Order: sequence, then structure tokens, then C-alpha cells
Amino acid sequence: MNTREWALIAFTILNQMAVGSFLVLGIVHAYAMRKKGMQQADQLSDMALVSIVPVVGLALIASLFHLGNPINAPRAIANLGTSWLSREILLDLIFAALALVFAFMQWRKIGSFSLRNIIAWIAAIEGLGLIYVMSNAYMLETEPSWNTLATPATFYATAFLLGSLAMGAAFVANYAYVQKHNPGCASEQCELMRDAVRGISISTLVFLGVEFVTLPLYLATLSSAGQAAQSSLLLTIGPFSTVFVLRLVLGFLGAGVFGIFLYRNAASAGHEKTLGYLVYAAFALVLVAEVLGRFLFYATRVRIGI
Amino acid sequence: MAKQLAFHIDNSACIGCKACQIACQDKNELPPQILWRRVFQYGGGNWVSDPSIPILYRANGVYSYSVSVACMHCQNPICVTVCPTKAMHKRDDGVVLVDQTKCVGCRYCEWACPYGAPHFDQTSGVMTKCTFCEDLLAQGENPACVDACPMRAIDYGELEDLRQKYGDIDAIEPLPLDRYTHPSVVITPNKHAQLSGTGTGKIQNLLEEL
Repeated sequence: MNTREWALIAFTILNQMAVGSFLVLGIVHAYAMRKKGMQQADQLSDMALVSIVPVVGLALIASLFHLGNPINAPRAIANLGTSWLSREILLDLIFAALALVFAFMQWRKIGSFSLRNIIAWIAAIEGLGLIYVMSNAYMLETEPSWNTLATPATFYATAFLLGSLAMGAAFVANYAYVQKHNPGCASEQCELMRDAVRGISISTLVFLGVEFVTLPLYLATLSSAGQAAQSSLLLTIGPFSTVFVLRLVLGFLGAGVFGIFLYRNAASAGHEKTLGYLVYAAFALVLVAEVLGRFLFYATRVRIGI
Repeated sequence: MAKQLAFHIDNSACIGCKACQIACQDKNELPPQILWRRVFQYGGGNWVSDPSIPILYRANGVYSYSVSVACMHCQNPICVTVCPTKAMHKRDDGVVLVDQTKCVGCRYCEWACPYGAPHFDQTSGVMTKCTFCEDLLAQGENPACVDACPMRAIDYGELEDLRQKYGDIDAIEPLPLDRYTHPSVVITPNKHAQLSGTGTGKIQNLLEEL
């Protein structure tokens, strides 16, 4: 592993987290609007939305560190006809632009609600497409450890796990801010925040489940997919077994154990502070687990041939 | 002009001396860590202790042969397919080249190519690869590896002609199966050579050729 591959870990994780965050935020906002109206919903989610933009920006900057000759970076979308990498970069740029435009419009309340709503929908669907294209970029015929359905499955799971917890952390932080500066609406915000965190804890449990079902199937696939795939498996359970186990344990702690605590503590008012600690800890644990998982994704790659 | 230039490797004559590799490094002024042409030693079998004289080990199916490999200038070059910048391209004569003024150095071709043909140059930040010595070809000369081989085991020419002359084997161990890229190569196998996918041995000099 060198700088260039760490750049890819940062790029893929940050991008997936941003897409997941955007979708989770959309669902939470729609729920909050139905329950307490637009103003309360905006107060809950606007700060969180703005926080997604620098994440997308960071991802783009990280991607440049992967390149040996970044001067030619604009050429990277020249081969849309056959290269999934070109397609990935194009979709990523479009997602970044849409997220930036939408966040700015929503923050400054530019344009009508329905116009903003349409842009948000386009960005959300584009983001889901981006993750699909991103996984295709890795599903090379000559890379058996990548060329499995586990690649899209784990990319989407990463998006929703990290997106959920990142937004959970943002809601908790936002609530602390509201409580300080605008105590008038704190009780309604408190209710929305608790509901959101409750929903988020369920979503993390579900996507932890997706990962924990995918991983054993993935390892079983590797064991029977030829020599290169078997070498990947041997790397995972051999030299990298500590990282692999650590990744599973941290993911389970963060998304599973902390997820259940979150669910319980969000049920009734009065535990806001605990909720804050829990959601930050869960986010940190799952982030580390996902980074380790992505590290393994690159480190255990064994190409067919010589 | 040729439709698809290709190498012929006479694997039955190759002695694994690596003169082709050195000639390639020399002519193309490559640093030691960049090997456009690599010579793999593939072998297997084992040594069994003689029951009556235990310190005497007898060969049990021991075999070894060498395979000289550069870019295969494939008919379906996966490096060209995946390259995001179109720096990697296939010429009308079938030669696959990288235009370094377009290359972004993402190393995606390196992940994709099952022959390990594209190499990343740390100094310039872009990819490099076997050019079929296109500059020498243009002057009517042979590629450096062809002329350097003391066994005359490397030949080149139009793929169809080579196939008619030498047969159509294009994948022996440790090369990958031909289905990924359809390599433009014709191999006359060594008597020990195993077709790709049926190998019982392993690359014996992997660390030398990384």
C-alpha cells in the first residue's frame, strides 16, 4: 500500500459516504416535513446538508493524489465509450455539482420548494448511479477478487452505513447548536432528532446485516473462482487476518452494539447527551471498520495472469 | 502494412538466458525496475529420497522451461478498453502504444492487463510499455529482442502468417488463458510446456521478474 492506494480508499469511502448521507438526509427531511412542517424540517437538516459538500470536495481532491500525472486529469473523461473509469469520474463530477448547487439553494432558500425538490431527486438518483458505476470500474474480468457481486453490495452498504451514522452525528451536533442558540424550538427539534436517530439506528443494523451476509458468501466465492481468487482468499485469512477480524469486530461494535443502544436511548427524551456520545462513537467505529475493509479490498487484490 | 503485428516465441529453443530482456532494457533505456520484456522460468515436480540411499534424492517429474513475455499487442487489448484518457491506443498495424502526453498515470491499465505489460514510471508519473520497437521497424530493422536472441527463438511478423507457419498456440503456463484479451502471439511449445489452465508447476523466478 502506498499514497496512491490510500488516495483511492479516501476517494471511494468519502464519495460513498456523501451519496449515502444525501439519501438518508432526503428521507429524514421528508419525514420531518410531514410531521412538523417545512421550517422545522429545514432546521433539522440544513446544516447537515451543507456539511456534505466539503466531503464530496475532499473526495475529489483525494482522487488527484492517486494520479501519477494529475496535469492530464481533465482528459480522464475522454473514453466514456468503453472505460468505466471515465464514466465513474464523469458521474462523480455531476454528483458533486448537483450536491453543491442543491445545498447552496437550500441553504439560501433560492428557488421554489418544488424546484429544489426536483434537483434533490436528480442528485439522489445520480448518486445511486454513481455507486453502481463505481463498482463496475472495479469489476474487471482479470481481477477475480473484485469481479463479484460483493463489490456493488459492499459499496452500497458502505454508503448507507456511513451515510446514516454521519447524518446521525450531524443531527445530534445540530441539536446541540439549536438548543444553545434557539431554545424556542428545541423541544420540537428534540423530538425530530430522536426520531431521526432511531430510524438511523435501524438502517445501520440493516446494512450491517447486508455486510455480514455478503462477506461469508464473498469468501466462499473466492475459494472456488480459480487460482488468483484463491490467492486473494489466502491473503485475507492469512497475512491480513488481523485486519479482517478487526474490521468485523469494529463494524459489529459500531453498527450493531452501538446501534441497539442508539435505538433504545432515542426512544424517550432526556438522553440527548448520551445519544450524542453514542452516535459519535458509532460513527468513528464504523468509519474505521469501513476504511479497514476498503484497505483489504485493495490489499488482497490478485490479478489473473503474470 | 501489417494488419496485426505479432511475436513468435519458439519456446522449444529458448534457454532462458534473458538476452532479449537485456537488449530491450538497453535499447529502450529502461531503469532496472521497469521490465518491458520478462522471462519467466516455469517448473514443477519434486525430489524424492532414495529408499536405499536416503541422502540421494532422485528427480520425480521435475521439469522447467522459460517463457519470454512482453506486451502481446492483443487483438482485444483490455488496457485500451479501460484507459480513461485514450492514451492507450492500438495502431492500424495492431501495435498497442501509450501516448504519454495523454496519460494521467492512474495505473488502471496495470490492474487490467493479465500480462503485466504496462509499467508505471515513477519518475515521469505515466505508463510505459513495449513499443514493438516501432522506431526500429520504421527504419526496416528488427525489434531489439528479436536480434538479440542467441537461439533465434523470437520472430515477428503478420499474425496470420505466423499462425500458418507455426500453429495457433497462444497460451502456455504461466500465461493466462487467451480469452481475456486474445493475445497476438504464436508459441512453439517446449516439450515440457503445459497449456494455460492445466499447469502443475509455478513460476520459479517470480521475484526476479516483478
